[in-house]
Amino acid sequence: MTLLNPRISRVLGVAALVSLVALAVFGLFIAPPDAVQSDAQRLMYLHVPSAWIAYLAYGVTALSSALYLWRRTRSPVWDRLAGASAELGVLFTAMTLVMGSLWGRPVWGVWWAWDARLVTTAVLFFLYVGYLALRRVPAPLETRAKRCAIAALVAFVDVPIVHFSVDWWQTLHQQATVFTPSLNAHIHGVMAFTLWLGVLAFTLLYVYLLDKRYRLETLEEDLESKELAKAIEERVQGAGTTAPPEHVEVGIGR
Amino acid sequence: MKFAQYVIGGYSVAGAVFLVYWLRLGARIRRAERLDRDA
Repeated sequence: MTLLNPRISRVLGVAALVSLVALAVFGLFIAPPDAVQSDAQRLMYLHVPSAWIAYLAYGVTALSSALYLWRRTRSPVWDRLAGASAELGVLFTAMTLVMGSLWGRPVWGVWWAWDARLVTTAVLFFLYVGYLALRRVPAPLETRAKRCAIAALVAFVDVPIVHFSVDWWQTLHQQATVFTPSLNAHIHGVMAFTLWLGVLAFTLLYVYLLDKRYRLETLEEDLESKELAKAIEERVQGAGTTAPPEHVEVGIGR
Repeated sequence: MKFAQYVIGGYSVAGAVFLVYWLRLGARIRRAERLDRDA
């Protein structure tokens, strides 16, 4: 079971690949170097879209989790979608942190700073790594889905904190530029185009990977149910035909 | 290009991470499909 028609998924995959290649060409060769930061600014075309898509991924996880918790809309589909999107959120957050670090070294002179934006983003990363670990804790599907949905909503509280951290605290990281009308930022046309191309490419990639990751989530759930049914059947058959063993050895690593 | 090592490094890391994730995801799906069939 997938989210998208296989044909649409294939088209989306090709579109994501083409737009990613175009992003690399525009980001590395066509967009002009920044007046202040020179070529180091080219990392913005990866860093900013990664951060935005990570927000989107966590937004989808939070919304799906809320829909799962609400009795009227409760369906395993929302739980699977939440899990699939959270993993992609972690991927894009890791990308944001790595690209930010690579950009920070030539511009700030350091790989890492204990800055509010950086720290809250790292916290966000670890919160959702914890969420993914929680999904792996064995439990009945409904119990697991409920506790993961609550955890996802709690973790999502950090998203607005990350976003507004640059306004709430004095940070080395710059404030929002593109969507701050008071700054009246004039962005070179090709630079703005490359930034939006990055957003488009990462969005296409996110949707494409979400479809695949959702399929994996469905398969793992099916497998888990089949294995459980098989184990119960074996247990019932065993109890009916043979006497329980007198001496049972248990131990780690068996 | 000024700061070429950071810029080219960043684009290469991004490409490699996405490629590895995509390949790994494909492998996980194929493994799950096989196990699901055998179960």
